[in-house]
Amino acid sequence: MTKKISSFLVVLLLLFLTIVYAATTGSIQMGFGEFIVNLFDANNDKMEAIKDLRFPRIIIALFAGAALSVAGVLLQAIMRNPLADAGFIGISAGAAFTKLFIVSFVPTMFFFSPIAAFVGGAFACFLVFFLSWKSGLNPLKLILVGIAINAMFSGLTEAMISFGASTSGAITSNLTLKTWDDVSLMATYGTIGLVLAFMFYGWCNVLVLSDKTAKSIGFNVTGARLLIAAVAVLLAASSVVVAGVIAFVGILVPHIARRLVGYDHKVLIPFTALLGAFIILLADTLGRTLFAPMEIPASTIMAIIGGPFLIFLLRKE
Amino acid sequence: MEIKEVIVSHDGTTRHLNGVSTVIPKGKITTIIGPNGCGKSTLLSVMSRNNRPIEGQARLENRDLIEYKAKDFAKKFAIVYQQNDIPSDLTVEQLVMYGRMPHTSLFKKNTSEDEDAVSWALACTNLLDKRHNDLAALSGGERQRVWIAMALAQKSEMLCLDEPTTYLDIYYQLELLELVKQLNEEHGLTIVMVLHDINQAIRYSDHIILMKAGQIITEGAPREVITKEVIKKVYGVNSVFHEDEELGLYMMPLSI
Repeated sequence: MTKKISSFLVVLLLLFLTIVYAATTGSIQMGFGEFIVNLFDANNDKMEAIKDLRFPRIIIALFAGAALSVAGVLLQAIMRNPLADAGFIGISAGAAFTKLFIVSFVPTMFFFSPIAAFVGGAFACFLVFFLSWKSGLNPLKLILVGIAINAMFSGLTEAMISFGASTSGAITSNLTLKTWDDVSLMATYGTIGLVLAFMFYGWCNVLVLSDKTAKSIGFNVTGARLLIAAVAVLLAASSVVVAGVIAFVGILVPHIARRLVGYDHKVLIPFTALLGAFIILLADTLGRTLFAPMEIPASTIMAIIGGPFLIFLLRKE
Repeated sequence: MEIKEVIVSHDGTTRHLNGVSTVIPKGKITTIIGPNGCGKSTLLSVMSRNNRPIEGQARLENRDLIEYKAKDFAKKFAIVYQQNDIPSDLTVEQLVMYGRMPHTSLFKKNTSEDEDAVSWALACTNLLDKRHNDLAALSGGERQRVWIAMALAQKSEMLCLDEPTTYLDIYYQLELLELVKQLNEEHGLTIVMVLHDINQAIRYSDHIILMKAGQIITEGAPREVITKEVIKKVYGVNSVFHEDEELGLYMMPLSI
């Protein structure tokens, strides 16, 4: 119990410090005291610039991190596979493809791009399930199918870019030049997804039982899988639309979270959201400050950390 | 429970159950035995609604099983499978609480009725002092009892066990069968189980169903059903039967 509470406190503290650091560091510098004092001062030009340029980026990074990490937890629960991750098994790629497709060919439908992304992500998720179902969702088979689906959608997206489609945020993550419009989009869908995810914690807990046993206690396994998958796709798609594809967060964060707070989804889901928000904000902030004015996308940093981590997990399996 | 002219096929060509009809006597221990592939597990999966008959029907309290809602059915019928994955980071009590699923909803908190049912299930299975232990730390026999406790927490009238003794050593086998007997005698549960050991079936059942090739060959009280001729016919094995004062009737396979 104390380990859980202290884990929450530590992550909250780190999250707070990273937010302040991210807000005050970059081409416009500001001290901590100055930042706090001017936070609600509408007449400070420096502060206004930070509010317009950095706050949206920070908020989007937080939501994208939370959404992708929780999507990972949900997918891992319904697939009974610790390696399931939206960015890794093609859900994000499917969402990115349909989003790009809509934006490029039916630009008037731009407003509906989150819905398009959801449809693409859901289709990819369906394919992964459908194609690995016969193996009884065998962990390695599922991952291999996911890699294939991921490759297919990434390839389609790249092909569209070769034909001159707009590239912003399509393949790699892009957290620069975010506006408050992007924030409201991300915050709306992200909040809905996160709240729904938490409401389903009890179902996620039951899904650790085998399908037969879960059915025998009157649990609708297929229905629960479908609904939870829809929430996971909503979370992944909303962050893909705004922040692009970021892989590995969905594996890395839940895995660390389970080590710290255990397997009960009631605690795991909120903790994963906080930890994911912290890690993506940290990756993005380091990416833009380490080699300024050069920027390394958050997804690149996650890939650099995530690759070795995945190998480590596979070796343990 | 009543099974009427049930035909089941997993692949659409072979009939895994071919016109099976029987009635499971209420308040008794019924054991289904038969050689591998005879359809005994399929019969169990019809009863637990995991397989839908292509013809015929299974009825419980004069209602077709498929008409029941999942939770309503789980209030009447509980089943324990032979092998279960052990979830990580879960205590005995938490797992047994899952058995209360049919009586709760997504947003309803555990009531004292749920707590009582869990305590009762733990007491029946002699697990009260282990209720806060981690599942991973239990022995094979204890784990099997935890799954039974979970099924008991459903408070159903009928309990089904699919080869409950298969992976246990003789000590735990006896312990488990005694538990089954006790649940039947003291709490009036209707028991249906699949066993491989014919002697255990003779000793612990009120009613035996003997199956071969998707059909029921014979059924009835152990002494009437299990005979030298029937064993030869169903298993293709010659056997010797002995009557022992302490043991009752027992059988020894002799040759094939």
